[in-house]
Amino acid sequence: MKSINLKGNQFIQFHQKISFKFDGVKYFGYKGDTIASALLRNNINLVGRSFKYHRPRGIYTCGIEEPNALVQIISEYSEPNTRATIKKIYEGMEIESQNRWPSLENDFGSINNLFSPIFTAGFYYKTFMGPHKKFWKNLYEPLIRRAAGLGKPPKDFKGISNHIHHNVDITIIGGGLNGLLAAKSFINSNYDVLLIDFEEQLGGIINNSNKISSIDNKEPKDWLKETIQEIEDSKNIKILKNTLVTTYNYINHLIAIEDRFVGSKPIEGKVNSTLHKIRTGHTILCNGHIERFLSFQNNDLPGIMLSSSFEKYMCRYGLAPSKEPVIFSNNSNSNSLVYGLIKAGLKPKAYIDSRSGEEIEPNLFDLIRKNDVPLYTNSQIKGAFGNKKIEKILVEDSSGALNEIKCDCLCLSGGINPDVHLFTQSKGLLDWDEKDLTYKPSKPFQPTITLGSASGQFNFDNLNSDINEKLKTFKVKKLDVKLELNTNTKYNIEKLWEVSPQKKSLWAKSFIDLQNDVTTKDIRQAITEGFDRIEHLKRYTTNSMGTDQGKISSINALGIVSDLLDKKVNEVGTTIYRPPYAPLSFSAIAGRNCYEFYDPERKSPIHSWHLKNGAIFEDVGQWKRPWYFQINKDESMHDAVQRESKNVRENAGILDGSTLGKIEIKGEDALEFMNLIYTNSFTKMKQGSARYALMLGEDGMVKDDGIICKISDQHFIATTTTGGAATVLGCMEEYAQTEWPNLKVFMNSITEQYATFNISGPKTREIMKKAFPNINFSNEEFPFMTFQFHEFNDIPIRILRASFTGELGYEIYIPSNSAPKIWDNIQSVGKEFGLAPYGTEAMHLLRAEKGYIIVGQDTDGSITPIDLGLSWMIGKSKKDFLGKRSLARSDTIREDRKQLVGIIPSNKADKLEEGQHIILDREIKSPVPMLGHITSCYYSSTLGHDFALAVIKNGHSMIGTKAYASTSSMSTTGVDIVKPVFYDEDNKRLVS
Amino acid sequence: MLIINCPYCGPRDQSEFSNGGEAHVKRPDGSKEIGDREWGEYVFIRANPKGLFYERWVHTHGCRKWFNCVRDTSTDEILVTYKLDEKKPNLNNFKSVVKTPSGEPEVGSGNFTVEK
Repeated sequence: MKSINLKGNQFIQFHQKISFKFDGVKYFGYKGDTIASALLRNNINLVGRSFKYHRPRGIYTCGIEEPNALVQIISEYSEPNTRATIKKIYEGMEIESQNRWPSLENDFGSINNLFSPIFTAGFYYKTFMGPHKKFWKNLYEPLIRRAAGLGKPPKDFKGISNHIHHNVDITIIGGGLNGLLAAKSFINSNYDVLLIDFEEQLGGIINNSNKISSIDNKEPKDWLKETIQEIEDSKNIKILKNTLVTTYNYINHLIAIEDRFVGSKPIEGKVNSTLHKIRTGHTILCNGHIERFLSFQNNDLPGIMLSSSFEKYMCRYGLAPSKEPVIFSNNSNSNSLVYGLIKAGLKPKAYIDSRSGEEIEPNLFDLIRKNDVPLYTNSQIKGAFGNKKIEKILVEDSSGALNEIKCDCLCLSGGINPDVHLFTQSKGLLDWDEKDLTYKPSKPFQPTITLGSASGQFNFDNLNSDINEKLKTFKVKKLDVKLELNTNTKYNIEKLWEVSPQKKSLWAKSFIDLQNDVTTKDIRQAITEGFDRIEHLKRYTTNSMGTDQGKISSINALGIVSDLLDKKVNEVGTTIYRPPYAPLSFSAIAGRNCYEFYDPERKSPIHSWHLKNGAIFEDVGQWKRPWYFQINKDESMHDAVQRESKNVRENAGILDGSTLGKIEIKGEDALEFMNLIYTNSFTKMKQGSARYALMLGEDGMVKDDGIICKISDQHFIATTTTGGAATVLGCMEEYAQTEWPNLKVFMNSITEQYATFNISGPKTREIMKKAFPNINFSNEEFPFMTFQFHEFNDIPIRILRASFTGELGYEIYIPSNSAPKIWDNIQSVGKEFGLAPYGTEAMHLLRAEKGYIIVGQDTDGSITPIDLGLSWMIGKSKKDFLGKRSLARSDTIREDRKQLVGIIPSNKADKLEEGQHIILDREIKSPVPMLGHITSCYYSSTLGHDFALAVIKNGHSMIGTKAYASTSSMSTTGVDIVKPVFYDEDNKRLVS
Repeated sequence: MLIINCPYCGPRDQSEFSNGGEAHVKRPDGSKEIGDREWGEYVFIRANPKGLFYERWVHTHGCRKWFNCVRDTSTDEILVTYKLDEKKPNLNNFKSVVKTPSGEPEVGSGNFTVEK
């Protein structure tokens, strides 16, 4: 294909040369060129290999609808699948073709094309079934994934995007003729208007075609300049250029993506795209139409192009891709191309029309005759042939005779469709137009207006009246625009979806979806196999499932199916167009919500101390908690945890418990409220005492636990699990508002206001005495499960005597700002007693030795307090509390529920594993009845062996018996089922 | 994304709210004997109509107030929002209509109107 430059184009700056590399070779284009136009200028049309058969492919269109010309932009983090037809070139741009090896010219994968008779619809589903199901995952899938596909994933991608929100009255999508006229109507009105266009220059069809000769007796480009100026000057209209609306959501919510670096290389660290989130009162769709192609033998050869795209290259890019293209059409839309070619001094090699001579527009007829263009009416192209490019075509003329025409370019037009993607995304309904052979918008579901060809108005006759009528509700000034056309015709089309082939061959294929390599034969086969519903057919053949969503071909598929099934197209229906309209990068969707902004990290007030003291952190919800502390780099986690826990048992340890949820509950009816929320009864509880409490769901299952401090009947402080704080507060608020609005009670989170230190171990009392010399910590003055308020160096603190380790323990609550000071003080006075910090892992080990559960680890939403052996915590005398009635359901009182037990290996040297099953047989012979599983499992240096907590069926009555635990090596370990307490069963250490 | 009219704060984006399932489900009075069926229905059974639906929402990232609304589940249109202590609106007051925006037939699986 030999292209020529058409000088005097207003959009291309021919004086400004730009160099770029394609597959390593340097080429030149001009400022304003897309990759596609620049490649065509260099007579390159082979730009990629196809998805499945690795067939050579070229540039098929001149816009967003491009199915073939997808390239990888090496100079932008290797961004794959970029449409060459819309991406502008810049100096130094590096581009690579996709899906070929070792090179584009000699592609090894093209051997697939020879085997193509077996690669038909459903091939993968049918073929790669055996001999073993593992073959798919380990052999077939990796092989296929390497062979098929498009671009390679980008490397080190660091695209930055931001989000902008808009709230407007009217959004006009598309700045073509109709979009501009609509915007013109709103000039200086009281409406806030947003006008969005995908291109850098507004104008659409005025810039892209030869159709319009004058507007209001002015040159179209002069009228355009004036109109755009008027719109820009209007204060109520904002124009977004280089912005593509990809999504039309409910309640007129639009998502649009703006490219901030059109025609230049994105600067690292700068925002390269903006995602606009638009909420609008009305949406006016002026997004025009898309031309369809036609199916015939080898309709995918490089050199074949849509006729309106050829015209756009001429008008918009000052480039005729070929000096003498052949035109094949079944409609009047390509008339303007013939006119444009002749005006430019070029001549079509031949004009082929499937319509009869009477149906062809008289003025086209005259034009063709006058310029001596070979004309074939009532004719069809039977096939295109050539090696990696089109070389000749075979035309069957009205007499049935075959004519061979040598050519380097073929322009196709199969008719035009309104671009209904956004309209159907908005849930609007379509209707089939039997005359124009396309789906057109009929009933909008939202306040949506369609204008121009987007609404199916393919003629310009009713331009003014249509806009005036549809914009009537806004009471804006009426339009009266005078339009003159170069090719004065009414849209006319004859039905033609596919041309039957002249003769069958393996190489020859008639494609229906170029991007996914679906042929019309695949459609036939799918229907034969029973996939005759359009949505089934789409998924079975993958037709229109590429990134182009079959923009130039999906209607053709419907036409072919309707013919095959002998149904009307309306009865066949259409598949649903889903957002986004064109691929949207994840970085654009994420915007600023990445890395630390995606999920905030919450840190305790003591965090910097932990960092300095060798803490290894664990994520608990959003919190960073010290998991364990390394005293030197060589200490293993196991050693650290054993050292920390041993130190708590022998001396004393300190844990940063600041992340625990804390909720303050106040109000006249706080007592009654707490009695309703928790299982425990707080009525008889003394002021200044604390209680371990359980919270259930209405289904009777344990939801959360914590310690409740009763300051008075009107004032409580509850702690929750670290992860459950928000849920518990939410639940309290819900019930206070919805079920018991009569109760006067208020609650608030005070998690971040107070830091919490848990100190425990036999030497704790000595340390506390020294740290807080004015407080009496004797067992009589400060008994277990009581709390006191004190002031220490003018800092108000609350000390609670409680323990999660089984040792004597205190929890200190300190306002967060003062916490580091007190922490440091305790560290220094504790040194002589061997006080050392411990992390969450040692805490888990210590609490498990004592048999204390962790909600969410030892429970899973199917465990009641009775299952845990915590019946004593249920306030049976209370009339009501969350989930009370559920504890008497037949399912919750049955005896074979999974219940919490302790597990120790019968042979103390054996290891146990968390998550393994408890079974009754030594041999694993499936099916093995599973009694339950191990929920927590640790090695204890205090006990000298492994131990575990488990939930097993009928567990309470199995205590004292033997069973087996499965292992990850598919064997079993003999275990003893014991009470879930392994240490200080009578609580001597806790209460003395 | 929906716009929800919080009765306390006014129209706000859906992302500020959380859904709380069916509204006007009465919690059985704990001070009285509650039958298995009555309790079981309260805990586990909720309506799931195609069409008008009384629904609870909470303005989680706002005033944290719970409120009720009537939503058409077939179109996602929220017809009215009202405070918890306001009377529940009569569904006959709404011109409801299962609109089937995606073009599926009006009669089909799950397609029944709310009657409680």
